Amino acid sequence: MVQSIVTTGLAIGCIYALIGITYNVMYSASRVFSFTAGTLGMLGGVLGALFIGRMGMPVAAGFLLALAGGALLGLVTEIVAVRPVLKSLDQHLYVLSTLALALMVQQFTAIEWGTEARPFPRLLDIPRGDFDQQFWLPMLACAVVIVGLELLHRHTLVGRAFLAIAEDTYAARALGLPERGLRMASFALAGAIGALAGFAGGQMLLAFFGNAPLLTFYGFVPVALGGMGNNRGAVVAGLLLGLFQQAANFLVGGIFASVAVFAVFIIVLLVRPEGLAGAAVQRRV
Amino acid sequence: MPISAPDPLLNVAGLSSGYGKIRVLHGIDLTVRESEVVALLGPNGAGKTTLLRAVSGLLPVTGSVRFGGRDLAGLNPRDAVKAGLAHVIEGHRVFRQLTVFDNLLLGVYDLPRGERLARVEEALGLFPEIAAKRLERAVSLSGGQQQILAVAQGLVRRPRLLMLDEPSAGLSPVLVDRVLEVVRRLREAGTAVLLVEQLIDKALAIADRVYALARGSIVLEAGTAEPDLPQRLERAYLATAKPADIAM
Amino acid sequence: MTQLRLSRTDTPGARLAFGAALPLLALLVVGLAFPLFGGGYWGVIATRACIYWVLVAGLNLVVGFAGQIAIGWVALLTLGAYTTSVLAAGNVMPALHPYLALAISGVVGAIFGLIVGLPALRLRTFYFAITTLGFATIVTQVALAWQSVTGGGVGVPGPVFPEPFSSQWGFYYFCLALAAICTWMTANIAASRFGRALTAIRDAEVAAEACGIAKPALLAMIFLFSGAVAGVAGGLFASLQSYITPDAFTLDLSVLFFIAILIGGHGSILGPLLGTLLLTVLPEFSAPLVAWSTFLYAALLLVIVLAVPGGIADLIDFKNRRPLETGRAIMPRPDLLPRLLGDAKEADVLTLEDITLSFGALRAVDGLNLRIKPAEVHGLIGPNGSGKTTTLNVISGYYAPQLGAVSLNGAALPALAPAQRAHVRIARTFQTPRIIGSASLLENVMIGATVDGTGTFIESLLSLPRHRRDEAMLHDRAMQALAVVGLERLAGVRADRLQHSELRFAEIARALMLRPAFLLLDEPAAGLSAAEIAQLGALVVAIAKAGTGVLLVEHHAELIFDICDQVTVLNLGRKLASGTPAEIRSHREVVDAYLGA
Repeated sequence: MVQSIVTTGLAIGCIYALIGITYNVMYSASRVFSFTAGTLGMLGGVLGALFIGRMGMPVAAGFLLALAGGALLGLVTEIVAVRPVLKSLDQHLYVLSTLALALMVQQFTAIEWGTEARPFPRLLDIPRGDFDQQFWLPMLACAVVIVGLELLHRHTLVGRAFLAIAEDTYAARALGLPERGLRMASFALAGAIGALAGFAGGQMLLAFFGNAPLLTFYGFVPVALGGMGNNRGAVVAGLLLGLFQQAANFLVGGIFASVAVFAVFIIVLLVRPEGLAGAAVQRRV
Repeated sequence: MPISAPDPLLNVAGLSSGYGKIRVLHGIDLTVRESEVVALLGPNGAGKTTLLRAVSGLLPVTGSVRFGGRDLAGLNPRDAVKAGLAHVIEGHRVFRQLTVFDNLLLGVYDLPRGERLARVEEALGLFPEIAAKRLERAVSLSGGQQQILAVAQGLVRRPRLLMLDEPSAGLSPVLVDRVLEVVRRLREAGTAVLLVEQLIDKALAIADRVYALARGSIVLEAGTAEPDLPQRLERAYLATAKPADIAM
Repeated sequence: MTQLRLSRTDTPGARLAFGAALPLLALLVVGLAFPLFGGGYWGVIATRACIYWVLVAGLNLVVGFAGQIAIGWVALLTLGAYTTSVLAAGNVMPALHPYLALAISGVVGAIFGLIVGLPALRLRTFYFAITTLGFATIVTQVALAWQSVTGGGVGVPGPVFPEPFSSQWGFYYFCLALAAICTWMTANIAASRFGRALTAIRDAEVAAEACGIAKPALLAMIFLFSGAVAGVAGGLFASLQSYITPDAFTLDLSVLFFIAILIGGHGSILGPLLGTLLLTVLPEFSAPLVAWSTFLYAALLLVIVLAVPGGIADLIDFKNRRPLETGRAIMPRPDLLPRLLGDAKEADVLTLEDITLSFGALRAVDGLNLRIKPAEVHGLIGPNGSGKTTTLNVISGYYAPQLGAVSLNGAALPALAPAQRAHVRIARTFQTPRIIGSASLLENVMIGATVDGTGTFIESLLSLPRHRRDEAMLHDRAMQALAVVGLERLAGVRADRLQHSELRFAEIARALMLRPAFLLLDEPAAGLSAAEIAQLGALVVAIAKAGTGVLLVEHHAELIFDICDQVTVLNLGRKLASGTPAEIRSHREVVDAYLGA
C-alpha cells in the first residue's frame, strides 16, 4: 500500500511540478502569472488522445503535435493576453486577460471534445506492471525538463538571455537584447512544457476538460510554496504535494484530502506569503 | 577658406521626453562629435538619466535624434546598439546570476559565433581585474568590479559612441580613476563618449566639452578649457544662471 | 473677501448623485411592471436575474470597488443555498421557518465571506484569485461528499416561502424587493467615505494609508457584507430551483458573476447591474447560445480587458467625454486658507532623534536629528541617495528605523503604522501623484479627511442622518480645499484627465483636508512650470503662516532658498548642515556636496 501511495504520489507530483514550471517560465519572462498553465496541461492530454487515440497517428507524431499545440497556445497567450496588458498602468489586468483566454480554451474543449473524461491511449506497448508507464512517464518527463532547462540556461546563448530577462528586464533591454522575441520564445517553451505534463500524465489523468481547473490550482501550489520563478523549489514542492495528497486520500478519503491540501496551502501562504523558499516582498513606497 | 566641420556623430535637436504625463526634458539640443568626450552635468532631478534613456530609445521622444546620419527617434535600444550606440545604465546593473563571461557574451548577442568570442576576449583584455574572474558569477564581484563589467558590456560591441550614466557612483576613488582612465583611452582609440557624472572635477579633467542640464533644459554649453567654467557651473547648478548663458 | 460657498444641491457632486439614481429608478419601475408583459418562463429568468444581482451587488464592492479578484464567490452561493435548504427541510435539526433559515444563511455567508476574503490582506493578487478558486472547488466537493446533511449527489429540496411569496410572481416581487434594497445599500456605500476609501485601496493604496484608511478593518466589513448577501442569494436561489444538487453550482456561475462586474466597470453600481441583466438574459435568446455562453462571456471579458477596461460604466460616462478647456491655469487662493484650516493649534513639535535606517548593506539614513516646528517651512535638500525621501517615509511610518524614533511633542509615533499618522494630523504628498484616476477630482480630495467622518459602516449602508452629515461636511471641506489650490472648476472631472501639475496641487488639497498640524511635501515642484512653482511657493508660505509646520523635500534649489525659514542639508544619510537659507547658500561644504567635489 505504501509503495502504491509513493508511486502514485510521486507521479502526480511530477505533473504538478511540471505545471508549476510552466507558470515559472512564463513568470520569468514577463513578471506575470498566467491562468493558461493549467489549461495547457489539460490540452496536452486532450490533444494526445485526439491525435493518437482518435485519429490513429503514431505515438511520436502525436507527441510532437501535442507539444506543438501547447507551444502555440503559449505563444497566443503572450501575444493576446500578456503583451497588450504589460504596457498598461493597471498592473492586475493580466489576471483577467489570461483568465479569459484560459476559460475560452477550456469551454471550447468542453464543447468540441465533450465533458466526460475520455481514455488516453497507452503510449508504450509493454505489459503492465507495478511500476507502470503511467507512473514513470511523468517522472521521466519531469527529469527531462529539469535537465533540459539546465542545459538550456548553462550552455546556450538563448538560455542565458532568458536568465538575463528574468533577472533584470530593463538592463536587458538597454543592452539591446531582443526582449519581445525572447519573451515569445519563453512562452512557447512554457506551452510545450505544459502540454508535455498533460501528455505524460494522460494515462493517469485521462483526457478530460475538467483537468484544467484542477491543474490550475494544484499546479500553482508548487509555485506558491517553492517561490516565484524557482523551478527547483517547484519540483520539491510538487513532489511533496503529490505525496501528501495521496497519503491524505488513503487516510481520510478523497474529499477531505482536498480540504487538507487546501488548508495546508492557505496556512503556509498566510505565514510566509513569499513561499517557503521565496524572497521577501520589496519596498513599495 | 573655411572648411565646414563634419556632421556630428550624435545630433540631438529639440528633444522632449518624460514619463507618462510628467514632462522632464524640454527641447534639448546637444551634439557629440567623433572621438570626443562630452560631459553632461547637472543637479539631481535635472533629467540627465532621462536624456540618456531618451537617446538610446528606452523612452518615447519628440524631436530628432540623429546618430551617424540615421534617425533614431522612435526606435528601440536594439536598433541603437546595432547602429553603434552603447548605453551603460546607472547603478552598475549587471546580470548577477550569470558569469562575467556570459555577461559580456550577451552584449554581442546577435553577432556570429566566432566574432562573439573574439569580441569578448578583446573586452576582457581591456580589464584585467575582471578577466581574472571570467568564470565567476557577477554576484561575487565587488561593486566597483561590477561597474567595470558594466562598462565592458558597453564596449564589447566596439561602439562608436558610449554613453555612461554616473559610472563613479558607489566606487572608491581608485576605481573611479580606473574607469575614467578607460574613458581617456577610448577617446584615443576613436570612440566618442557621453559621460554623465556627479564628480565635476574629474569629469572636467577628461572631457573636451561640457553641457549643464537643469530642470530639463540645457543651461550651459562650454569647452572644458574655458577659464571661468567652475563659477559658471556653480551658478548653473544653484539655479541662478539663465538659459542664455551659453557660449562656445 | 469673496464668499466662495457652493450649496450642496448646486455642486457637481449633487448633480452626480441624481444622475446616477435616475437609471436605477427607471430599472426598478420596469421591474415592478414586468409581470404585465412577461410570461411564466420569463418570470423565472427575471427572478433569477434579481437573485444574481443580490449576490453581484455585494461582490461588486469586493471586486469593483476594492479591486480584490475573488473569482470563486459561487462558494458562498452554495453555502447559502444548502444552509437555507437544510435548515428549512429539517435534515439536521427540527425544521426552521424559511425566513429564519434565510437569515441564518446570511450569517453563515458573512462568516465565510470573511474567511475567504481575509487572505487578501496577505496574499498577492494572483495568489488570492487562485485561493478563491480552490475554495469554490472545495465547497462543491464537500457538498457532494457530506451525504448525511446535503444529500450528496441526490441533493435536497429548496425552501418554500410562505404566502404571499409562494406563487411565482409573489416570489418574484420578494426577490425584486431584496434586489432593490441591495442596490440602495450598495449605492449608499459607493457614495460614502467607505466606498471612496475602497477605491483608494484599489488604486492608490499607499496614499490611502497616508489618509488614515485602515485596509484590514475596511476589507473585513466588505467581506462580511458581501458574504451575507451572497448567503441570502443562495437561499433564494435554492427556492427558485426548488431542488438543489452540487452540480448546480459550477465554476461557470462564478465566472458569470465576476465577468458581470468587469463588463459593468469598476466603481459603478449601474454598470454591473446592467452587466448582470445582460449575462442572465442573453443566453435565453437562442438555444445554441446556452452551450456557448461561458465561452462568449470569457471572450467578452477578454475584449473588455484589452479594449475598454472601464467597462459599460466608461462607455456610458458621457459627462467625462465633454472636452476640457485647454490652456488652464492654476490659480490658488491662499487667502481662503484660514477658513479651511481653522484656528491655530497648540504648538506641537515634530522631532526625529538619531534615526538610523539601512537597506541591507546600504545605510540610507545615518543618525539623523531633525526638528520641525509649527508655522515654519523647513526645507530638506541633498544629492540623490542622500536619504531625503527615506526620511520622509520614516516620518510617515512606512519604514521602521533600526535606531531612533520620531516623536510628536515628546510622544513617540509608532513605526510601520502609516495609517495612524492621519489621526495625529500629519499629512503628506508623494513624489509621483498617487490618485484614483477613475474617480472625480472632488472624490479624490474628499478621501483626505476620511478619518474625520463619524458615521459607522451600517449608518452609511442605510443612509442614516449621521452619514449624510458626514457627506455634507466632507463635500464642503473638499470644495474649500479645491478653492484654496485653485482647482474648484474641475471638481467633477475624472482625475486621469487632468494635467500633471493639476494633480500635484490636487494632492496638496487632499492633504489639507486633514487640517494638518504638519505637512510633508515630497518634491512637489517636479514637473511644474516656473509660474506654477511660484504659485506653489506662495501657497506653502501661506500654509505655514496659518500654523502648519511644513517639511519640504526638494531638488529645486531656488524654491528652497526663496520660501524656507530653515534648511537642512543631507548627504549620504547624514546631516551636513542646518541653518537659514542664506547660511546654507554660502556654506562651502554644501556647495561642494552638490557639485560633487
